[in-house]
Amino acid sequence: MLEVSAIWTAHVQQQNYRALLDAISHPGRVKSILHQQGGLASLAVLATLLDAEVSLADPDDLLEAEDWPLLQASAAAPGEADYILCRGNRAARFQPKLGSLPSPERSATLIIYVDSLHRGELKLSLKGPGVNGNADCSIAGLDPDWIRRREEWVCGYPLGVDLLLVDDSAVLALPRTTKVEVA
Amino acid sequence: MILAQQFGFLDEYAKKEIRRTSLKAVAIPGYQVPYSSREMPMGRGFGTGGLQLTLALIGAGEVLKVIDQGSDDSVNAVNLRSFIEMTCPGVGTTRVTGEADLIQSRHRIPEKPLREDQLLVLQVPYPDPLVVVEASEEKRKQLHGEADYSRLLVKLYEDIVKFDEITISHRYPTRINDHYVIDPSPIPRWDVPKLHMSKALVLLGAGREKKIYAVPPYTKAEPLAFEDKPFRVEAFLDEQGRRRACARCGCDNSFLDEYVDSNSGEQVYRCSDADWCDEQLARQTAAEVIYG
Ligand SMILES: [Zn+2]
Repeated sequence: MLEVSAIWTAHVQQQNYRALLDAISHPGRVKSILHQQGGLASLAVLATLLDAEVSLADPDDLLEAEDWPLLQASAAAPGEADYILCRGNRAARFQPKLGSLPSPERSATLIIYVDSLHRGELKLSLKGPGVNGNADCSIAGLDPDWIRRREEWVCGYPLGVDLLLVDDSAVLALPRTTKVEVA
Repeated sequence: MILAQQFGFLDEYAKKEIRRTSLKAVAIPGYQVPYSSREMPMGRGFGTGGLQLTLALIGAGEVLKVIDQGSDDSVNAVNLRSFIEMTCPGVGTTRVTGEADLIQSRHRIPEKPLREDQLLVLQVPYPDPLVVVEASEEKRKQLHGEADYSRLLVKLYEDIVKFDEITISHRYPTRINDHYVIDPSPIPRWDVPKLHMSKALVLLGAGREKKIYAVPPYTKAEPLAFEDKPFRVEAFLDEQGRRRACARCGCDNSFLDEYVDSNSGEQVYRCSDADWCDEQLARQTAAEVIYG
């Protein structure tokens, strides 16, 4: 837990970036995010990644009005946004951008707020780059529809989306290369 | 001397862009993600791509190793290391591979296998292996997207037929995760297999060409090869067909540099990786102490 403003400091953002880098390098690995007391770890993730160069969609109104000027990102519809913050407990209701064959990086990163990354009813088995063999995870508060929709979004590799699942204090990444099976 | 007020020299916007770019690079293994690459107080081509990555990555309390051609003491390595020491208070430096959290390197991957908790940053002068067969970047990006490397394979095969062996000594084109082919930076063929299923994340930075790409841990990295002409690493055989050993530490399974002895005029071989050589020598000395 940190005092109110610490997620906006360079020192904390460096540590949170390394947690994100470790998470995306090791899909399924749960990494702690430094976040402010009573605040969302997802806000700390956004604070680490966003500035005026990128756009953000918040279709579930998870952000407070005062967060926007600090994040500096421009507001965009989910279909056009570089980053999308949304709730995991409802099914996906949008089509994120997937990038193009010459520029697959022009795709959305989804920051999905879930109840828990440690225990939950949704059991996933992961394979692919970054996973040494198999990795298992269980998540609470993620509608299984996300996994089905993700499958559609990532089937045209290298096009796709990258998912950052975030609970109150940690992150778990599912980059587009991860093969996900619901166990 | 005025010290930069900013930890890590770069402003936070530059770091954020490099951080966003590096996350995309890991998510799309081997794909060269474009970024804007800031001016650094040294010429591009002096490892600015690697340096920018290191500055965006590193935090106080971490330990860094900088190597150039296997040596921590070459001018380039010393300059880069002192720049980071000056601009990143609280960052430690080491010459010992096993002690480093981050390793920034040009031309070599350490002989000592890296661990999961370590991270390797490679400096890249020319990131795109397709340049030799396609001049237009727009067309190259399309070919990469389609994983269409037929022209590159033909070029490679022609060279093999002409010289009857793989003549590429450095920058061997390597396919990552069955899709993108990368230029693995000017590492020798010897180092290419170390990328395959590496425990450590490898990030590659090309400052002049403004590209960042990655080989994530536990990811396939396969040098392009043909059934009748398989990929081989340097053999280092002497006239009798025996594996040469390092003249200093005796190691016969490391990448060797060739020197000419100034007295005898003879060729001498030594480990290219200075820390590896020191470690082998120390081990030997320890064994001699024990066994007399
Ligand atoms: Zn040696």
